[in-house]
Amino acid sequence: MTRPSPGHRTGPALGRRRLLGAGAGLGLGAALSACGQTTGAVSQPGGAVPDAYRGRTKVVLWSTFADPVGPALQKLVDAFNREQRDVYVEVQFQGTYDECAQKAVISLLGAQAPDLCVLSDVKWYKFYFGDALEPWDSYFDPGELAATYNPRLLSEGQARGRTWWLPLARSTPLFYYNKTLFRKAGVPVRAPESYEELYDWSHRITKQTTGGKRVALEAYQKVDGDWQFQCSAWQWGGAYSRGLDVTIDEGGAVEAGEWQRKLIFKDRIAYMATEPTADIGNQLIATLVTSTGGLKKINEMAAANGWELGTGFLPRQKKFAVNTGGGGLGMFKRVPRERKEAAAEFVRFLARPENAAQWTVETGYLPVVPAAVEQAPLVRLMRDDPNFTTAVKQLERTRKGDQVRMMIPNANVRIYIALQRIWSGNTPAQQAFSEVADQLRKGVDRYGTMIEEHL
Amino acid sequence: MTTDVQQDGTAAAPPGRAAPGEAGRRLRARRRRDYLLFAAFAAPNFFFLLVFAYWPVVYNAYLSLTDWDMVSSSWHMIGLDNYASLFDDPDFRGSLWTTVLFVVGVVAGGLVLGLATALLLNQRLRGRDVVRTLTFAPYVLSGAAVGTLWLFLFDPNYGLVRPLLAPLGMAAPAMMTDSKWALFGLVLVYLWKNTGFVAVVYLAGLQGLPRDVFEAAALDGAGAWTRLRRIILPLLSPVTFFLLVTCTISTFQAFDVIAMMTQGGPGTSTSILSWFIYDQGFRTFDAGRASAAAMIMFVVLLLITGFQARFLERKVHYQ
Repeated sequence: MTRPSPGHRTGPALGRRRLLGAGAGLGLGAALSACGQTTGAVSQPGGAVPDAYRGRTKVVLWSTFADPVGPALQKLVDAFNREQRDVYVEVQFQGTYDECAQKAVISLLGAQAPDLCVLSDVKWYKFYFGDALEPWDSYFDPGELAATYNPRLLSEGQARGRTWWLPLARSTPLFYYNKTLFRKAGVPVRAPESYEELYDWSHRITKQTTGGKRVALEAYQKVDGDWQFQCSAWQWGGAYSRGLDVTIDEGGAVEAGEWQRKLIFKDRIAYMATEPTADIGNQLIATLVTSTGGLKKINEMAAANGWELGTGFLPRQKKFAVNTGGGGLGMFKRVPRERKEAAAEFVRFLARPENAAQWTVETGYLPVVPAAVEQAPLVRLMRDDPNFTTAVKQLERTRKGDQVRMMIPNANVRIYIALQRIWSGNTPAQQAFSEVADQLRKGVDRYGTMIEEHL
Repeated sequence: MTTDVQQDGTAAAPPGRAAPGEAGRRLRARRRRDYLLFAAFAAPNFFFLLVFAYWPVVYNAYLSLTDWDMVSSSWHMIGLDNYASLFDDPDFRGSLWTTVLFVVGVVAGGLVLGLATALLLNQRLRGRDVVRTLTFAPYVLSGAAVGTLWLFLFDPNYGLVRPLLAPLGMAAPAMMTDSKWALFGLVLVYLWKNTGFVAVVYLAGLQGLPRDVFEAAALDGAGAWTRLRRIILPLLSPVTFFLLVTCTISTFQAFDVIAMMTQGGPGTSTSILSWFIYDQGFRTFDAGRASAAAMIMFVVLLLITGFQARFLERKVHYQ
């Protein structure tokens, strides 16, 4: 900063200083206003094309899938790379949905981005609202997307008449239960009709022990537990929001929270867990509500630990309700057209019925392409293992999550933090949800107009 | 003030007074050379400091006045709204209080345990060098490794704490999933990780203390406690001061183990300021609020360091 010295208020020297100061100020202002790069074409993240595939257009896919889903994706990628001559797809694992989205944001600021990115049902909105996504429609023939994908799942990635996010690893919460423990407890070996019925059974189920520890009825997922709780809020007659009107602190949502608090702190038959799938695998809990994407892993753990797995629709309370979730594919607007077209080729390959069926068989995710259900491997699996049929049957009864959770930035995290306070700190549901409702309403005040403009 | 001496051994004219003739020109040329030499040495360091230390602070201050979401290509200047919204946010106020508890626990606990360890390691014991190495080892482990290790140890179902407590008829607490225990558990982990560093620094200080003072104290019949209180602690006060400043700053910036073990939870029970900033920046993608919180942390650290330098250094006894 330049300041005129006393006695030298005018004159050429001062003018030069002022000029220099103004130049520095302008430079600083210009640099500050850069805020990273949010426009212009992006380069591709590193990686190498093997000699056998040299000369092809490389497509980088950022994935969120670890074992056993990651290898299933890689198998399809390998098949694609072997099959044709123009495109080479490289999968780069980027961690969880949250981590992948974070890396995509930072990467875009650095003028670098993958050609395809797995984005969760919540995170894709962030990029859509930021005008960072490319619509898929122009990369497919008219009507091709509608004819290919499950219309319910496809519609979840559409806005303003365009498709921004394509279904891939879509899921819905299932009710998993340990048939062996149910049988030993002398309760009906089936999924309960209602939470009341499950509660009646719980007294007998939780008298059993595993490795010296009393078996718990259920566990709630510490991180991202808001997804499963969405169903509970609906089933008790409530909702996180109706449109952009926040309702988490009213009626059914609060009752559902209190129900779970009672199971944890009064009945002591439930708890919050970091890895509930591991806990059901090791028979520490008898039931679990979690993603269809966990089916493969839980199935394997059940077989390894010598117990029989059962799955069913979620129990109902005042009504039956269940949401969708999981990940889909987004493509960034700033990626050059040639790479986008190559990426679309791969997406078309994934959507072939035989490949979509293979994906479902190997992961447990929903068949996002209806024709996949008629493919022999999936037909065989659904016949031999009814657990794989549960998700397909439940799919027809699913619906998209509440708008505020999906669209207000970080609302899902705010909600699961409130749930953690109930599950871990014994905070009354009304108090925990009132506090998060305040935060969500502030979010609606800030982002509501922008959201409405984009829908 | 020093007086410049020229190559011929005569004293140079004092600064500000023109040296007459040839000698003056030589002096000016030498000064210019010296200045250029200084600039050549200092410029690269200064450049990197500017780019990697000062520039981010300036940029961060600017971002704290915007509503940028890190994806959109446009944003607005919103003045001090982000600061106002932070002080209106119970989560932010809660994170300030959690930070105080965490920093006091880790720094105070670390200094006490570190000094105790250093006093033990300063004895002539068998296997002392091995123990010193083992004590320091956790400090060089990555936060991710430490977090993973302690997550396993603390796990109430599968962890090592369970079989340790089982013979006593006690159930292992759910350290990382119980909001009553989580902050305490986190402080324990950081103490385990950092105590070795504090102990090594204290040990170096202990070994530099003058022996004659201890011999005189022994002749005067001073016991161990008196020696610790009247001699060791005052003489180690410069080391304590150094550790207090550096540990406070590094504990404020603790992040890696928290990210691995608790992610600020359960609830917000372990959400210290550094985690809050991360949450706002990289989960909410609210660059403005994250930057404003970072500026507040910067100012708080400046104030604490200034306070320590202004008031605590007076009590430091330099030899």
